[in-house]
Parts: sequence; C-alpha cells; structure tokens
Amino acid sequence: MRTLAIETATPASSVAIGDGADLRAMSVNVDSRGHVGFLIPAIDFCLNQAGWEPSDIELVAVDIGPGPYTGLRAGIATAQAFAAAVGAQMAPVSSLTVIALRAATGRRRIWPVVDMRRGLVAVAPYRPLPGGVAPDGSPEVVNPQDFKALLESEPSESLVVGDWQALPETTWTGMHRVRRGRPRYPSAETLIEIADMRQRLDKLAGPGDVRPMYMREPDVQINWKSFRSEGAWPSD
Amino acid sequence: MSGPLILGIETSCDETGVAVLEGLEVRSSVLASQVEEHARFGGVVPEVAARAHVEAIRPLAHQALTRAGVHPDQLDAVAVTRGPGLSGALSVGYAYAKSFAYSLGKPLYGIDHMEGHLFAPRLSFPGYEPPAVVLLASGGHSQIVHVKAWGAYEILGGTIDDAAGEAFDKLARFMGLGFPGGPAIDADSVGGDPDAVKFPRAVRDRPFDFSFSGLKTSVITYLEKARENDSLPPRSDISASIQEAIVDVLIEKTFNAVEATGVEIVGAGGGVLANRRLREKLIERAESKGVGLFIPEPSLCLDNGAMIAGVAIEKLNQGAAPDALTLDVDPGMTLA
Ligand SMILES: [Zn+2]
Repeated sequence: MRTLAIETATPASSVAIGDGADLRAMSVNVDSRGHVGFLIPAIDFCLNQAGWEPSDIELVAVDIGPGPYTGLRAGIATAQAFAAAVGAQMAPVSSLTVIALRAATGRRRIWPVVDMRRGLVAVAPYRPLPGGVAPDGSPEVVNPQDFKALLESEPSESLVVGDWQALPETTWTGMHRVRRGRPRYPSAETLIEIADMRQRLDKLAGPGDVRPMYMREPDVQINWKSFRSEGAWPSD
Repeated sequence: MSGPLILGIETSCDETGVAVLEGLEVRSSVLASQVEEHARFGGVVPEVAARAHVEAIRPLAHQALTRAGVHPDQLDAVAVTRGPGLSGALSVGYAYAKSFAYSLGKPLYGIDHMEGHLFAPRLSFPGYEPPAVVLLASGGHSQIVHVKAWGAYEILGGTIDDAAGEAFDKLARFMGLGFPGGPAIDADSVGGDPDAVKFPRAVRDRPFDFSFSGLKTSVITYLEKARENDSLPPRSDISASIQEAIVDVLIEKTFNAVEATGVEIVGAGGGVLANRRLREKLIERAESKGVGLFIPEPSLCLDNGAMIAGVAIEKLNQGAAPDALTLDVDPGMTLA
C-alpha cells in the first residue's frame, strides 16, 4: 500500500512515504516548535520525490505518543485530515514501539524512553523477536528513581534506548546489567515499516480510532488564587 | 443564492466550530462546546481545550460537510482561524485545515479570529456593510473596532485589563455562581435591582477604553464589608448591579465611538452579546441615536466556523493570496 507516515512525538519530527515496506522519500526536522510549519511542505517534498499525488496515498501511519502534546496533536490532526480527505486507512502507532523496533539487540529486554518533561519519562518494556519486538508490559510515566527501580528489578540484562539523556546521570550508577543505546528519537521511516506489518496482519484503523496517547492528566493552572472558591454568600 | 463553497474551521479557544458556506449562505454550521469540561476548573484551561479540539475536529468536519451535502472535492477553499488565541488550540485546527486543503489541492486561507467576529453580522443581515462601529465582547476579547471597509480596520479601544466575559467569570466565581459567569450572573440578576449598588464604571480620559479591575475590587470590598456587618443584600441585587455596571461601560464606549466616527451602523459580536440586559440597552440606545444595529443570532455571536468561512469569501472576492504551506499559527495576531 502507498503509505504516508507522520512522526511528531518528540523534538525530531519526520515525514516519510513508502510503497509497502519500501521507503520512497523522507524528510526530517529537529526543531521542537516547528511541527505545523514543517509537516505539509515535508509531505509535499516527499510526494514530489516519488512522483505521487496526495490522492495516491492509501494508508496514513501516525505516531500517537506518548510525547509532548502540542507537536503530537499537530501530527495527529494532520494525519486525520489527510486520511479523511483522500479516503485512506490509518495505522496509529505508539512512539515507544517505534523506538523499540529500531533498537538492535539479540536478547536484552528493551526499554524505550520518551521525555515527558517536568522530570518525567514514559517507558515500556519490549521483548526482542526475530525481525521485530513485542510489548512485554504496559507503558508508564515515571520519575528517574522509579525507572531505576524498574530496571533493578529486571531478572535479565536490559537495553535502554530513546531519550535517556533526559534522565540524570545518577540513574545509571551501579546499573551493571543495563546498556544504553540508540536510537534517541522515533522516525517516520520505522512507521512505514510498522504500517506495512499492520496491513499484513489486517490491523488497520479508521480515522475515528486515532487519538493521542497522553498518559498524563492535563496541567491545570487557573490564575485566580485571589478569589475565594466558596463565594461570598454561604452556599445555598 | 450561490457563490464559492468554503469550509470554515475555528479552534482558537474553547469551542470547536466547523461550517460550510455557499457564498454568504450558511449551508451547515456545527459546534462542540467545551463549557462543561472547563466548568470543573472555573475557567478555560489551554491544555484541556487543545485535547477537546483534537477529539472533536474530525467528526465535526465530517458532520459539517455531510449536513451541507457537500463532497470535499466540491470545495473552493478551506478557511481556518490562524490567530489570535491559545496556541495549542489554534494549532489543532490549523494543522487539520492545512492538511485537508493540501491533500484536496484547495487553497487555504488563515483568518484573523477577530475579523471573523467583525464579519459575522453580515451572514445574518445583507444590510450590514461598512463603515460601521463594532463592539466585540467575550471571555477572551473586548474591543471597539471601526470597520472602514472589509479588510480595513481601526481598533479604537478595548479593555485595559480583563475582557468583559472574564470580568463576569471572575465576579461570578467570587460570588459562588459557577462558570461561565456571564450567563450565571444574567440568570441570577432576574428580579434584582440594577441600581441597588452603584459600582464604578469610567476610565477617565480614554473615551473608547474600559477597565474592569476597579469594578472587581469595588465588588469584593463591598461584599467583604457587607459580610462583616452582616448586611449582605439579596444576591440578585448584586448580580443586577454588576451586570448594569459592565453593560453601561460597554454601551457608553461603543456610542462614544459611533459619535466620533459618524458611522450609521453598529455591529456586535462575542459571547457576552448573549447577555439580555446588554442587548436590551444596545437596542434602546441605537434607536434613540437613529443608527442601525446588527447583532447576529447567538450561534453567530459565539465562536463559530461560519464567520471564519465568511471572511475567506471576502478575501476570495478581493483576490487575496492563500496561506503559504510553511505558515504556522499566530497566537498574537492583531487586526490593525
Ligand atoms: Zn471569539
């Protein structure tokens, strides 16, 4: 299937198009604030490279997070609108899965990391399989201490990939069975590959099934502290 | 009626609005309000708003097109609010609209939200044409604008601190009346005496500007003292008096602008225009001054997609260039 992949879950956004699992064109941008301005010109560039029209796209793959929200939403809105306009199917994919699939390992359990800011990271365990990975537990949002405890309780050796540079150096002290590796960010190229697998497994979605994976309650700040919440009158 | 078919998308604050216009005829206009989600917090929370937009935008766009009986291929252009507003909220609508327009091969017009409000009465009243003075009052904005021609605006004045809707919200919250404050105070004021307490109104030396911080302080001081002395008046009297003060300020400044510009047409928009007392007094004053008053129906006063599509039609008529694909939202966009 002719596939468009949109990746905006981390500071590195990217767009790719592929025919089945074959990558045809790709564009990358490392600027956490440039998503909305970057995406459509990048898609346009990729389609031109392949000599395709937007209406040639049959499948839109998109990273649904976890990741910083504004970019994530811009990517999802772009993907949904594209799919709705040209009548394409969709493949929503977790950023953690995209990172884990690119991690090269034979036997170590893989822990992809996405920086959620405010000292928190999203993590999830994956088991390596021949030609792929399989989730081996639920994703969680944790602080560095909790992540360290998770890794320490691992029965076997593990490989931490993704944006582990977002964690303090002390996370790794004494962690002899933990290795750190690449990639740092998810990439649209991997999304093309995953979308192809999903298609083979007959596991595609409609645009209505695609929503962001936040994993955190919204930050709520109302700047009205000087006002009493109970009101001037006794409650009636 | 006929004319270009435009899809209009609005996501600048706490309403997701999508509409299809054929010329100036509204073929469909659908809205997902987030009022209940924000009521829990007592105000609009940007992250909550952005989350709700991303849930609502695709089904609403689908609904607007279906209700209008329009296939996306038939559209002549896509219009979307580019600013001003909450950046996370704007970027959902802008990203959606841009991608939709691009993949269909249609031009995209990024529209100033305020210009949408200024244009909205035109969708209800063919007689509403510049030059006009327009009062915009909502939770996010309070302005008095001189519309010299479509596309030529002068902001004569506005709020120095809180928007009118915000003043209602904060005072309603202080009085324990809930969110949004405008409708809450409006409802509570029924049977109350608007002259019970004379709260302050004027900003001296600035004929078109207003400020609500003095009113806020005055209400709070008054109520705290009254509570101490165990002499709280009926709540409806205070609601009516607060409402009267806000309404008086908006009316006075609007008609100062009418006098200064000599226009014969007054328009109005924004959520605060749902306030019954404000509508009443606007009608009264317009009649006594002999000027035409155009307040669109409530659904066009609130944030909506139709007004955004309407401005795009005007832009098409003027042969304006569509947005470049590289553009992003502009949360601080200004009219003039
Ligand atoms: Zn508005």
